[in-house]
Amino acid sequence: MTSVVSAHPPAEVVVDHGPRLLASIGDTMKLATHRELWSDPRLSRVATGQLIEWARAVGIAGRGGAGFPFATKLAAAVKAAGLVRRPVIVVNAAEGEPASAKDFALALTVPHRVLDGAAATAYSLRCNEIHVVVPRDRPLVGEALRAAIAERRDAGERLSWKVTETGPGFVAGQARAVIEALSGRPGLPTTAWQPEAVSGLRGRPTLLSNAETWAQVGALVTLGPEAYAGLGADAEPGTTLLSLSGLPGLAPGTVRVVEVPYGTQWSEVLGDAVSRPVLVGGFHGTWAPGGALASMRVSRVAMGAMGAMGLTLGAGVAVLLPDGECPVAVTAAITAYLASESAGRCGPCFNGLPVLAAEVSALAGCDVGASYTRIRDLLGLVERRGACAHPDGTARLVRSMVTVFEDEVVAHLGGVCRIAEDGLRARIGEGMATGLAGVGVRAGVGAEPRAEACGEARAETGVGRP
Amino acid sequence: MRTLRVDWPACKGRGVCAEVLPELIALDEWGYPIVGGPVPDDLRDLAVEAVAACPHAALRLLTARA
Repeated sequence: MTSVVSAHPPAEVVVDHGPRLLASIGDTMKLATHRELWSDPRLSRVATGQLIEWARAVGIAGRGGAGFPFATKLAAAVKAAGLVRRPVIVVNAAEGEPASAKDFALALTVPHRVLDGAAATAYSLRCNEIHVVVPRDRPLVGEALRAAIAERRDAGERLSWKVTETGPGFVAGQARAVIEALSGRPGLPTTAWQPEAVSGLRGRPTLLSNAETWAQVGALVTLGPEAYAGLGADAEPGTTLLSLSGLPGLAPGTVRVVEVPYGTQWSEVLGDAVSRPVLVGGFHGTWAPGGALASMRVSRVAMGAMGAMGLTLGAGVAVLLPDGECPVAVTAAITAYLASESAGRCGPCFNGLPVLAAEVSALAGCDVGASYTRIRDLLGLVERRGACAHPDGTARLVRSMVTVFEDEVVAHLGGVCRIAEDGLRARIGEGMATGLAGVGVRAGVGAEPRAEACGEARAETGVGRP
Repeated sequence: MRTLRVDWPACKGRGVCAEVLPELIALDEWGYPIVGGPVPDDLRDLAVEAVAACPHAALRLLTARA
């Protein structure tokens, strides 16, 4: 039994052909072939006002996790900019979330789509400085983007591209942490008194967006809003990338990256596995109960069916709960990982997350001391009490676990993990057939076999970094 | 309306703010401030004192965004 929860970047990434951004994967690594399909952004110079209007019309939301409207960010940067306060553009491909691989996929298959979006915006804003932030623990991303930038320079593009490595770590890709890293300081979150678009790198208006967001902006500039809206739902034009893990037939540690138009049925994306519980939005995300997504469509709109259940796509990560694994144990493993990833700067996060993780672990292990009230109290103590959203995201995950898997949580509080118990029963059944070989070892001889079985799931999920 | 905001990385949980302004600031189990709501006018002076008293300059009084 292996878990989908890992503290490390995916061991393998499978990238599917998609309808737009991933339409030409494999063919357009090189700039020359890319240009045969997608025109140079220098040629389609879009006025800033028009770009804001277009981005607002098609509703491009940030793909880094927060889903902030790109048009609003761009408008703020334009307003804050001045003759001697030229804006700075940052392409954030730092992707610190272990279950996410979409930025990795973009960098390795269609790097110029990402860079085109940033370049087009730079031309539009008349700024020259573009930073590309890449993760240290996924070296192929930096390699691919550096090679792509070199090609563009050779082709005569006169933008100042600068690639900076950041991380490793879950919070290294957080906007303020990225700006700190670019400023030459340790890449850790700081308090944002003003939005980055108003005052970011060296106090300049900084348009910091996720790599996929830039690729979407690139597509919008090249296609125009009408053609861009040719894919997706009426209320929500365009496509989104998804990083899927735990799919049947996918080896553990493998992430499948797909591009789907908004409005695609989840049952189409996940197949029969849609009946399983799914962690939507990654480790800072929300659990969807088994089968809940079956009638839903892929969407970021807060008013939609997903939004009504509190399911936000975030960075587009979906982790399926493997068959026979306890959701409480999986949540405990993720919480422990997130606690270990606290940057350690803010007191409530540094102190609160480890305690919260220990409490959720106690619950997963069916400990006598596990306390629901204590977990609820701790959630209140960490939420909105940090420079970045790490404590909030962690609290969101735990909160959704206690809501969605209420029955499981209650069973654990009563000292029983029903899933581990079923598994034990199944294993004993197997053991009967095969002469009981090994059953004693797996179940843990003696007291509390159920707790042991659940603890075992936790141990196997590879909590923390070595 | 004014609100108090904590600069979390700067805050080291010294607890001076809670001494000066217990009406609005409590301390959590680790000694970090829990700020309760916007600052009413009659507590404004004390809030300014609390901000000034913080040994790490980790507390700020902001004009609440509408």
